[in-house]
Amino acid sequence: MAHIPDGLLSAPVLIGGGLLAAGGVALGLRWLDERMIPRTALLAAAFFAGSLVAVPVGPSSVHLLLAGLMGVMLGPATFLAVLVALLLQTLLFGFGGLTTLGVNTVNIALPGVLCGMALGPVIRSTPRASLRFAAGAAAGALAVLGTGGMVALVLWLSSSDFAPAARVVIATYLPLALVEAFVTGAVVSFLARVQPEALRPVTS
Amino acid sequence: MIRLLLPLLLALAFAGPAQAHKLKVFATVEGGEVTGYAFFIGGGRAAGAVWAAKDPAGTALASGTTDGEGRFAFPVPQPPVDATVTVDTREGHVAAATLPAGRFGGAAAAVSPPPVDRPAPAVEAEGEARLAALVEAAVQRQVTPLMERIEQMDSRLRYADILSGIFLILGLAGMALWAKGQRA
Repeated sequence: MAHIPDGLLSAPVLIGGGLLAAGGVALGLRWLDERMIPRTALLAAAFFAGSLVAVPVGPSSVHLLLAGLMGVMLGPATFLAVLVALLLQTLLFGFGGLTTLGVNTVNIALPGVLCGMALGPVIRSTPRASLRFAAGAAAGALAVLGTGGMVALVLWLSSSDFAPAARVVIATYLPLALVEAFVTGAVVSFLARVQPEALRPVTS
Repeated sequence: MIRLLLPLLLALAFAGPAQAHKLKVFATVEGGEVTGYAFFIGGGRAAGAVWAAKDPAGTALASGTTDGEGRFAFPVPQPPVDATVTVDTREGHVAAATLPAGRFGGAAAAVSPPPVDRPAPAVEAEGEARLAALVEAAVQRQVTPLMERIEQMDSRLRYADILSGIFLILGLAGMALWAKGQRA
């Protein structure tokens, strides 16, 4: 779903996606320090393995993206985690493609980073567990919907042939957004209880 | 955090490596028809997806939507040309499979209508053509399951690949940590 294969997107979209991804990765690299590296790697591994478990929904099949969670926990380093995981999925399993690597990275990472920036402060500072769960859930769901919107946008920009039908996109992304909301909310609540530091991406 | 995420990671890695996420199209020739189906590697068929068959020049040969099991079918193109079947789930998954014109040879003979007014020597050629078509059909019946199996094995996820991916990521993290340590 978020793995757009080679040969569907037009050159300007590919190049634009590549440049955006490069910018995001450069930003992510500047944020990396000793504390962030293991965390980035762990979430990259979780994302890598998580996207291999897909569940059929309607005409498609969906899998967890964890982008909202990554946005909250990693900040801009999300780009790095997503890029590495997508590269490995492309090389090992043929999901997506090398030319679309940049676009796919941006599609998944950008909504997550934005959600992390918007909802991260609430999640970190609130003393109320219910609000924290809700904010985490919102981050998870909005990141998924953002990814769905981005995928639709790049396909539509490239060629009207493969422009996704809004009905199908909603039918497949909505259940996923609900699941992600629950997973993200649960993980965020749990981390806030046992290790609040893990929710705070640190600047170097 | 590691204590929390590692079990989650392991659960994900081992819960369903049979499931995966890539659309593929399987197409074959049966009798006078090209049939096939679109499937997600490891699990699920693409039901209700839009499909279209085109020749190399891009001219449409046939199109429609897949049935509840992701199947499609259309008559063998006349004259035989390379046919590319593209399936689009309308939400970002698109996959294609190409059947070379050579695959349509026997099937074309099977469906070509017998000439109405044929001279005597043509009768023998007619019989031969029918025999060829029968052999073609029999072989096809035997070979189809094998080809499906090959297609599935080709795209199966392997534990070794999943594990090597995860450990490559951990290795990268180790290298990054080491590089940071050198610089500090």
